[in-house]
Amino acid sequence: MSGLNASLAIALSGLTAEQGALEVTTNNVANVNTPGYSRQVPDLVSSNPIIVDPLTLGTGVTLQSIDSIRDPILESRIQQETQTQGQLSSLVSALQQSQVNFTSGSGDIGSAITNFFNSINQLSASPADLSVRQGVLTAASNLAGSFNNTANNLTQQENSLDLSVVQNAGQINQLTQQIAQLNGQISNLQNVGESAGSFVDQRTQAIDQLSSLVDVSVIPSDNTLTLTTSNGAPLVAGQQSFQLQTQLNASGLHDVYSQGADITSSITSGQLGGTLQARDQQIPAIQTQLDTLASGLANAVNGVQAAGFDLNGHAGTNLFNPPPASGTGAAASLSVAITNPALIAASSDGTTGSNGNAEAMYALSSQAVIHGQSPTNYYSGIVFNVGNDAANASAEQNASGLVLQQLNDQRASVSGVSLDQEAANMVQYQQAYAASAQVVTTINDMMYAVINMTTLTG
Amino acid sequence: MRVNPNPLPDLLAALGQTQQQINTDLQQISTGQSVNVPSDDPSAAAELVQNAAQTSAADQFLRSLGSVQGEIQSADSTLSSVTTALQRAISLGVEGANGTLNTADRAAIATEVQGIQSQLLNLANLSYQGSYVFAGTATQTAPYVLDAASPSGVDYVGNSNTNSITLGSHFSLQTNLPGSQLFSAPGSDMFQSIQDLLTSLQSGTGIAAAVGEVTTASNYIDAQRVFYGNAENQLNAQQTYLNGDTTQLAQQQNTLAGADLPTVITNLTTAETSRQATLAAVAGATQTNLFSYLK
Repeated sequence: MSGLNASLAIALSGLTAEQGALEVTTNNVANVNTPGYSRQVPDLVSSNPIIVDPLTLGTGVTLQSIDSIRDPILESRIQQETQTQGQLSSLVSALQQSQVNFTSGSGDIGSAITNFFNSINQLSASPADLSVRQGVLTAASNLAGSFNNTANNLTQQENSLDLSVVQNAGQINQLTQQIAQLNGQISNLQNVGESAGSFVDQRTQAIDQLSSLVDVSVIPSDNTLTLTTSNGAPLVAGQQSFQLQTQLNASGLHDVYSQGADITSSITSGQLGGTLQARDQQIPAIQTQLDTLASGLANAVNGVQAAGFDLNGHAGTNLFNPPPASGTGAAASLSVAITNPALIAASSDGTTGSNGNAEAMYALSSQAVIHGQSPTNYYSGIVFNVGNDAANASAEQNASGLVLQQLNDQRASVSGVSLDQEAANMVQYQQAYAASAQVVTTINDMMYAVINMTTLTG
Repeated sequence: MRVNPNPLPDLLAALGQTQQQINTDLQQISTGQSVNVPSDDPSAAAELVQNAAQTSAADQFLRSLGSVQGEIQSADSTLSSVTTALQRAISLGVEGANGTLNTADRAAIATEVQGIQSQLLNLANLSYQGSYVFAGTATQTAPYVLDAASPSGVDYVGNSNTNSITLGSHFSLQTNLPGSQLFSAPGSDMFQSIQDLLTSLQSGTGIAAAVGEVTTASNYIDAQRVFYGNAENQLNAQQTYLNGDTTQLAQQQNTLAGADLPTVITNLTTAETSRQATLAAVAGATQTNLFSYLK
């Protein structure tokens, strides 16, 4: 009897195990579209045998555990590449916006410089003509205007990037709180020896999202994870999350603080890193070059003005309002100081018909007055730098995108749910279940036979 | 070996790339330019800045050249009139030197020489578009004024400065000769010679010497006219050069930034075809799995 009961128990273990395995398959199928989900595999293990002398008898099957199939090294590489991708995507979008200011068209600084010098050449041909002189003032005013516009556009862009910084910090804080919470849930389960399965998937997903925002260093410790930025500012330690704060600095932009320390310049990757790089390095560098051009040009023109004589025979005064001595803000504040066309100093000998000083002013267009380059050459250098930075960042972004795509493919091949495979498994478990059920039926018949064995006589 | 069971993200990424290619091609076709933002080709964009500046400067040089040409031609034709007038004075002087004339006849000739004197004053005070051409750089006032106290009958109130103008990247041209050099240079003072002729006709003596002075002055002015002839030649040559330069700059611009339409259109067609194929693949590839076949 114990033999049959034992068989029944074994068949029952089969039913239970196959049922459990089927549940795992069903869960996989239900989660086929869940982002970050790692497929689960039932770990069916033969139950410990018993020894009934002289035989060792098996006791059936146990569903020992449900394992999530994931490759932690691959996931860590994906996180690294996601950080790079995030940084590049925000950098590329900022640079592409900046470079619109430097497309050749009719309002750009390059044409304004050329038009200004053209008006000076016209002045050289007719130095006493008031309408020609007015033309010079108009061209100078357009030149100042184009510098002002470009500088203002770049400043506005800095401000909108600043908003992104604050937003990103907020998103980071939300994610670190989420991760800390998940850490808690995971360690609770793992401390009692359970597999934390889908919680780990959710945490990995959250870390991926965090990686796209900021550079993240993952340090596993017993049953939990510590997250810091790559320069060591703490983000998550176990169940505790550390919030980032943003504070206004002296330039009216927000700096990022962690635990009271300013970590703005140490954030190197992720969207926050890219935005900060654009806001604090790339765009200010363009502004500096513009300021150099504007102040160099204004000072050179003013210098030539002072060396000549206006229509009334007086020494020339400043054509442009003198830019700041340090040069900072010269492009945004460039403006024309003269409204009376007679005050343009075209004359080199004090007479009304002399054009010697106008010629000297025209010569500035080909002299090395801006850091060893002519004004147009210097401007074309700015155009090249802006375009080159944007093109390089874009190329890097494409390359990084391809790498990330390939890593995701690899991850999917390891952890992705294959509906074909799950269907096949389902068939497998179903047949095993049917077989075990059939065994139960058979054992039932055998028991019936045994019971009725004793009533057959008479 | 397990493979990626979900090809959709890759296909969608490929679709995105193709769409981007299509967008770029459409932009090139609609603008006709292959470089629409600096990042399209940074070094071409920088060269285009230079090209645009040079083209615009060349156009300006042509404009300035036109107004300088007008002034030079006006000065030159005025000098031609001056020479003609001086030649007339010379023949009048020769006539007046004839010993058979009486005082009344010489007085009549003197009157005509006086007329020439006024004419020369007007010619020397030529004004072109509001500026006096022979005044040096003091172009707002007439360079020659009548002065009875002066030996030549006039005073020169201009100066002896000259203007030059840049009309090319390595080309500049002097644009004027002051009257002090042309009409009242020491030893060849046109006004002095005419005044002397007048005086000699009125007095009856020294007419031959005076005619000699006028001849010297006339020859001198003829020689000075070479300046204007040279200037006109140089301006014409520079004009031809600038026109050729602008053509060449336009070609350079096209090379740097012009969209090669046949190539772009071919690329667009290829990209469209690729996009269609990818869409069909996306639609077909993921329709069925094993679940569809299980009963």
